Amino acid sequence: MHPRFLSRLALILGLALSPALSPAQEPLKIGAPQPMTGPDAPFGDKFKKAYTMALDEINAKGGINGRKLEIVLEDHQAKNPLAATVAEKLITQGKVLVLTGGRASGQAMEIASVAQRLKTPYLVDHPSADAITSKGFDWVFRNNPTGSIYPEAWKKFVTDVPGAMPKSAAVVYDNSLFGKTIGNAVMTFLKSKGVTITNDEAYAVNSLDFKPVMTKVKGNNPDYLLMVAVSTTDAILMTRHAKEIGVTPRAFVGFGGGFGVEDFAKQLGPLAENVYSSAAWSGNPNDGATATFYQNFKAKFGISPHEHETEGYAAMYILADAFRRAKLTGNLEADRAAVREALLATDMTTVFGKTKFGNYAGPLGDNYVNQNVNSPEHVVLAQWRGGVLLNVWPKAMAETNFVFPEPPEKK
Amino acid sequence: METFIQSLVSGVLTGALYAMIAMGLTVVFGVMRIINMAHGEMVMLGMFGAWWAQKSWGLDPFVSILVWTPAMFALGLAIHRFLLRKIMPGGELNVLLYTAGLSLLIANLALLAFSGDYRTISLPYALRPMRPFGIAVPIPLAIAFGIALALTTALWAFLTRTDTGRAIRATAQNPESAALMGVNVPRIESLTFALGTALAGAAGVLLAPSLYLYPTVGEILSVKCFVIVVLGGLGSIPGAIVGGILLSVVESLGAVYVSVAWKDAIGFVLFLLVLLFRPGGIWGVARA
Repeated sequence: MHPRFLSRLALILGLALSPALSPAQEPLKIGAPQPMTGPDAPFGDKFKKAYTMALDEINAKGGINGRKLEIVLEDHQAKNPLAATVAEKLITQGKVLVLTGGRASGQAMEIASVAQRLKTPYLVDHPSADAITSKGFDWVFRNNPTGSIYPEAWKKFVTDVPGAMPKSAAVVYDNSLFGKTIGNAVMTFLKSKGVTITNDEAYAVNSLDFKPVMTKVKGNNPDYLLMVAVSTTDAILMTRHAKEIGVTPRAFVGFGGGFGVEDFAKQLGPLAENVYSSAAWSGNPNDGATATFYQNFKAKFGISPHEHETEGYAAMYILADAFRRAKLTGNLEADRAAVREALLATDMTTVFGKTKFGNYAGPLGDNYVNQNVNSPEHVVLAQWRGGVLLNVWPKAMAETNFVFPEPPEKK
Repeated sequence: METFIQSLVSGVLTGALYAMIAMGLTVVFGVMRIINMAHGEMVMLGMFGAWWAQKSWGLDPFVSILVWTPAMFALGLAIHRFLLRKIMPGGELNVLLYTAGLSLLIANLALLAFSGDYRTISLPYALRPMRPFGIAVPIPLAIAFGIALALTTALWAFLTRTDTGRAIRATAQNPESAALMGVNVPRIESLTFALGTALAGAAGVLLAPSLYLYPTVGEILSVKCFVIVVLGGLGSIPGAIVGGILLSVVESLGAVYVSVAWKDAIGFVLFLLVLLFRPGGIWGVARA
């Protein structure tokens, strides 16, 4: 309730005060539907921190052509229909210039449809289902990699490291848009390499019990256990139950946000050790500007930023860059079109990496529209080590050496 | 074969906890003829209790059952005394809607107090499961199973060996005759509701270390619980035990041998089959 109340208050105050201000002084509004309450609330909070930090910096330097930037957060509670409602509300009542955020693919898909219909640019900063940028929506842009690109780092790892190619693999994925996309991408790759897929298991998001599925997996004794989870609780419980039941692959590999958040290590303790996460691109930590951002963020909020924070922070800079280049007239519809044109010409580097939007074919043959052309490089394989997620592959982004295969369980 | 035994063991362990939740609901139904829609929320409160005890007092969640069972018993008494008693003469449908409202109220109060975040309880001593004969037995589930077994036995002894227990069973069989025999029916009802609440709370405490908790977790548990109770026969305690274990084993085996995605559907198919061939449930005591 709290953030929504504040954003509404800000809106009311903004409306009440607007006649007193000259049009040039009005802030440039960015709308962001995010889960501020409900099961995904921790993610909404991450983005809120990242957005405000970036905007504070931009505004402290005088904003864009003398105008401040403002983020308007609306809570969609991780519910798809609500995401469409709040997106429409932000566009029609909130008078935002652009949309960003969304958090999960299901909700982002709804927001993208609304943005396309109401001709408002939508910069996707985190949701990764391929469909978002492969439906031909020309008002939708995406900076982060798509779901089917996510496993690229893991693919590079098993291809490049001698002996790492799986002999067999169990694939367990959730039945959300995100889960099915990644599950499909992984299995397509495995089939192309002639790897036996011992298990192809879809489960419902927020399953309370993974013991049955892990029992089934154990019976096939796979060489790799590949797990996809959009929800953190699923990622945690699935890993816990896999280890409890005694699945012993050469590597536990997780795809999806849940495997990359700090809670994963906090809740699992030693059980998280050596689990791979092939999802979390949060900029190249060996890059100077990115490393500085990490330090500043940690100093400000006391938590280490990961992909969500980096993506949210970078999105603000991409939008600010577009606003700077767009010719804004004060007519909302014309301005939205101008921002879209400016986004099409984006060619810049943020803490997340290089951004340039273009149209190209993805790994599964989807035709991407306005997808960051550098996405295939924005993937990394990381591994949990002593409660910290460290990049291990490709070598240029590595923070430490990988542990492979999984050492036998200590008694 | 190992896969089969493993899923059977997992099913029975989880089933004991399902059974315990269902027992609370069925006892209340048996005596008061009300279906407590807020039962899942009572379980949720127990789960948060266990989490709270560990986080704030550093108390082992399983030890905290000693605190929360009496606390939930008292809560049950209070709910009956101040909320339920007045509405009881209003008819079964009113009470049903009333408890449904109560369930929303409790879930939303919990949302307000704890926020919608999910939480898990991790026990340092329970990270690695026991592996007798290569079958994994998760320690939190094994402890919970043991306590659930003890509590069920205690409940059974209470209902069959004590005067109050016999009075509860008499009221369940026929409230009018029980009253004629000198049973204080309103007092028994109040006691039974508190007992049901305490069972739900205790089950919540036991479940918490094996699951994760969030304020609306009660919804999922309620649905399972209704299936079990109807499966076993409304109002029957042995029915709830058999129903709980049966549902859990069928889910577990179904997930392994049919499909994980169909896990919940399989439970409902079983439910429909039982209703079709034994409308009163396995141990049905439904009255005309």
